[in-house]
Amino acid sequence: MKATLQSDVQPTNLTVRGAKRPSRLPIWHWLGVLPFFIFSALFLIGPTLVLAYRSLEDPDGGLSFVNYLQLTNPTVINAYSLSIRVSLTTAILGGLIGFLVAWAVSIGGLPRPFRSLTTTFSGVASNFAGVPLAAAFIFTLGRVGVVTALFELLGVDLYGTGFSLYSYTGLVLVYLYFQIPLMVLVILPALDGLKREWREAAENLGATPVQYWLHVALPVLIPSILGTMILLFGNAFGAHATAYALTGGLFNLATLLIGQQISGDVLHNPGLGFAVAMGMVIIMGVSITIYSILQRRSERWLR
Amino acid sequence: MQPRKYLFHVFSLFVLVSMVLAACAPAATEAPATQAGEDFGEMTDLVAAARAEGTLTTIALPHDWCNYGAVIQGFKDKYGLEVNELDPGAGSGEELEAIRANKDNPGPQAPDVIDVGLAFGPTAKEEGLIQPYKVATWDEIPADAKDPDGYWYGDYYGVLSLEVNTDEVANIPAEYADLLKPEYNGQVALSGDPLTSNAAILSVWAAGLATGATGEEAAQAGLEFFRQLNESGNFVPIDGDSRTVGIGETPILIDWSYNSILNDVSLAGNPDLETVVPTQGRLAGVYVQAISAYAPHPNAAKLWMEYLYSDEGQLGWASGFCHPIRFEAMSAAGKIPEDVLAQLPSTEGAFFPSIAEIEAARTVITEGWPSVVGVEVQAPQ
Amino acid sequence: MTVSTAPVPVAANASGTTQTTTRRNRLWALVIYILTALYFLLPLAATFYWSLRAERGTLGFEAYRRLFEDANFLPSFSQSIVNAIIAIVISLVIIVPTAYWVTLRLPKLRPVVEFITLLPFVIPAVVLSLALIILYSRPPLLLTRTYESSRVLLVCVYAALSFPYMFRAVDNGLRAMDVRALTEAAQSLGAGWPTILFRVIFPNLRVALISGALLTFAIVIGELTIALFMAQRTLGPYMANLTRSKVYEPSAMAIVAFAITWAAMGIIQLIGRGQQGSIGGGH
Repeated sequence: MKATLQSDVQPTNLTVRGAKRPSRLPIWHWLGVLPFFIFSALFLIGPTLVLAYRSLEDPDGGLSFVNYLQLTNPTVINAYSLSIRVSLTTAILGGLIGFLVAWAVSIGGLPRPFRSLTTTFSGVASNFAGVPLAAAFIFTLGRVGVVTALFELLGVDLYGTGFSLYSYTGLVLVYLYFQIPLMVLVILPALDGLKREWREAAENLGATPVQYWLHVALPVLIPSILGTMILLFGNAFGAHATAYALTGGLFNLATLLIGQQISGDVLHNPGLGFAVAMGMVIIMGVSITIYSILQRRSERWLR
Repeated sequence: MQPRKYLFHVFSLFVLVSMVLAACAPAATEAPATQAGEDFGEMTDLVAAARAEGTLTTIALPHDWCNYGAVIQGFKDKYGLEVNELDPGAGSGEELEAIRANKDNPGPQAPDVIDVGLAFGPTAKEEGLIQPYKVATWDEIPADAKDPDGYWYGDYYGVLSLEVNTDEVANIPAEYADLLKPEYNGQVALSGDPLTSNAAILSVWAAGLATGATGEEAAQAGLEFFRQLNESGNFVPIDGDSRTVGIGETPILIDWSYNSILNDVSLAGNPDLETVVPTQGRLAGVYVQAISAYAPHPNAAKLWMEYLYSDEGQLGWASGFCHPIRFEAMSAAGKIPEDVLAQLPSTEGAFFPSIAEIEAARTVITEGWPSVVGVEVQAPQ
Repeated sequence: MTVSTAPVPVAANASGTTQTTTRRNRLWALVIYILTALYFLLPLAATFYWSLRAERGTLGFEAYRRLFEDANFLPSFSQSIVNAIIAIVISLVIIVPTAYWVTLRLPKLRPVVEFITLLPFVIPAVVLSLALIILYSRPPLLLTRTYESSRVLLVCVYAALSFPYMFRAVDNGLRAMDVRALTEAAQSLGAGWPTILFRVIFPNLRVALISGALLTFAIVIGELTIALFMAQRTLGPYMANLTRSKVYEPSAMAIVAFAITWAAMGIIQLIGRGQQGSIGGGH
């Protein structure tokens, strides 16, 4: 038998209370995060610093900001802008659909096997990317795709309606294939935290399901949802192989730009590629700052 | 916050930065300046030295590209060396990056030899990434396809062609101009992004050359051609390959003749492919070999070059439908068997551009492609 | 001592109103589930269809046969599995204490930690590989010299690549339980930090840990770019080489890889559930 220890403190209050504590912590309190910082310094921050260093190299090997000056070039700005739009769109859509699916297999009350199937499937699908994913969609929604053929049988010429897999819409549709499962997997632990007692209490007090979600469930979930959205944003922002396979040169995404300059056969200005990558690091930093502010606001507002 | 904490932060940042700076600083050791195989007048010495090294590390050699699989196997069998193959799919830029990153690394990550697009030879030489070596058959390599000092040397070539899935395409196009016909709606693709792929950018140029223009004007005409192709809906903007041709998503692909013929042979009629070499704008493309200046196995690298440029190595490429660089000399001497010759496409009248010409066309196309052809995608809002 | 706040599923033994909502919910859940299942299964079905077309005019398993003809599949597969397991363990051991500490003790560090965990998304794999070679091909940390030491480097990088997923999953899991109350309760019972972490926090994070482990496994099993740069003979490069410039084999490979990964995930899930049995969780 388990011993269940629960308190009625809302989880969201925790961080706020923690934040108010005096930051005078004995040095050993850092031990808990020390392995993380050491490991990250070795394998993430170190490489980022190499990236930063190389972004300062001009084509002749000297040190300068010349690569960063090129970041204001309209091609680069457009690439960033398109990358941000695709990432935002797929994060919001993927987040929404993923949330619904996670709800369906947990609180929604679907039989237990659905949940195991869904989580394991999501594990695979969340990393099903690149050429195999692009190909799977070409087989499905390309001009010779199965679904395209089905529509033809129904008398609808899908490509005649202006649809194309090789468009913004198509790209979003493909990205959702790894965005939705990621949302499902990462939000499930949060949904599991919703206590049945809260809902029963709400219903006993005469609250409608909408009121319950708006005033009880969502406020508890908001920090997790926001955090997962930023994860989805980053996940799409950094995607490269899938986009390359599907857009062969007509789309201008930041990751494709980096690939052109660093690994390609044609253009070769690694310094610029590294600078564009640094720009992505900075955009990610800005996104996290915005998100942290939102997070803090939402916590204050929810209290 | 405690000052001690800041100190800790500052200190750890300092350690990291100095680590990175130390790592990035130019290596003190100079590139070994081995000269043109003079040290090894005797082939046997070279073989012995290569065997002592034991391994050759290659990069960017797909096994079905120009029959590299069999060529590598032949080299292994003949000399008993191990071949450590790095990313077969790497682009030329990546190959140079791999040399740069591995300057001080004799480990398995460091490539000994590279096979890059023509324009990357001079770039690599200028930056000191490659070392000179002249193979025994050096004189049979045409002078305009090699560096006079032996830093890089052309290896094989093909012509750009139309790879057509004849199950899907009733009227096989013969020239680039045909591709604009309405009947090819949603059927034509390039083998990659013209800003990333060598074959794709040369395809754009070839389409321009086919209009009769030359040089930079042809590059401009090529852009105009692809603008029309895109606007008419004939162009499918994906990274085309044998798969997209095979399933009929892009039944017409512009690619190197050797890739097209290989795909036809390996598909064996499921579906039927045809390789069309246009007569107008027949453009040849040469790749080049070079040895890394920091090669951990310099002798194995030289032995590899000797093998590639021997009759055996050259015929190996020819059986993969690539024209070996010694093609003229070898066919004049009757060294190429009839059946191998029969499989090679006609390169008659093909234009072999110089590096300067390629660079000029490249500049026009890469600068123009995003604005002339590329679509500025708008989010639906 | 076992302490658990294992989530309680909505069960049908509740009051009358809850029963109606539950039934209505279940219907909606089913509709959502079927629609998304269609979206996810159609591309797989289409891929499978094309994998069967390797022989003209008939459907059959020719592509699969060709795939495993002279296959040297097992060594690379087992190597990837081992890499994945080690990466999962490293990632868990590093991220769980970090997320716990950040939640409980150092909330001000949260944005910094989140930023670092998201770095894998914005450093392109090619750049990461090149930087690692530059950093670890010279003293003090010489890791690139041999195949085995390169493998150590690769596994560490994989663990780092899993940080965004692992941190988010664990953090969501921690938010879903009352970390402070649990910690204080355990402390009042005389538990030390290791006990709290391993006997209280880990068991209560079961769902989150499984999510994180599945995601890490999926990253490692198919990763291509870094493995290639590190000259490692893992599954990613093996699959890429086998299917390069083929028409039907890549589809067969995609299906095989999907199936194998899915099966492996099922095993991870089972192991996770077995562990749950011992702590008597809710489901």
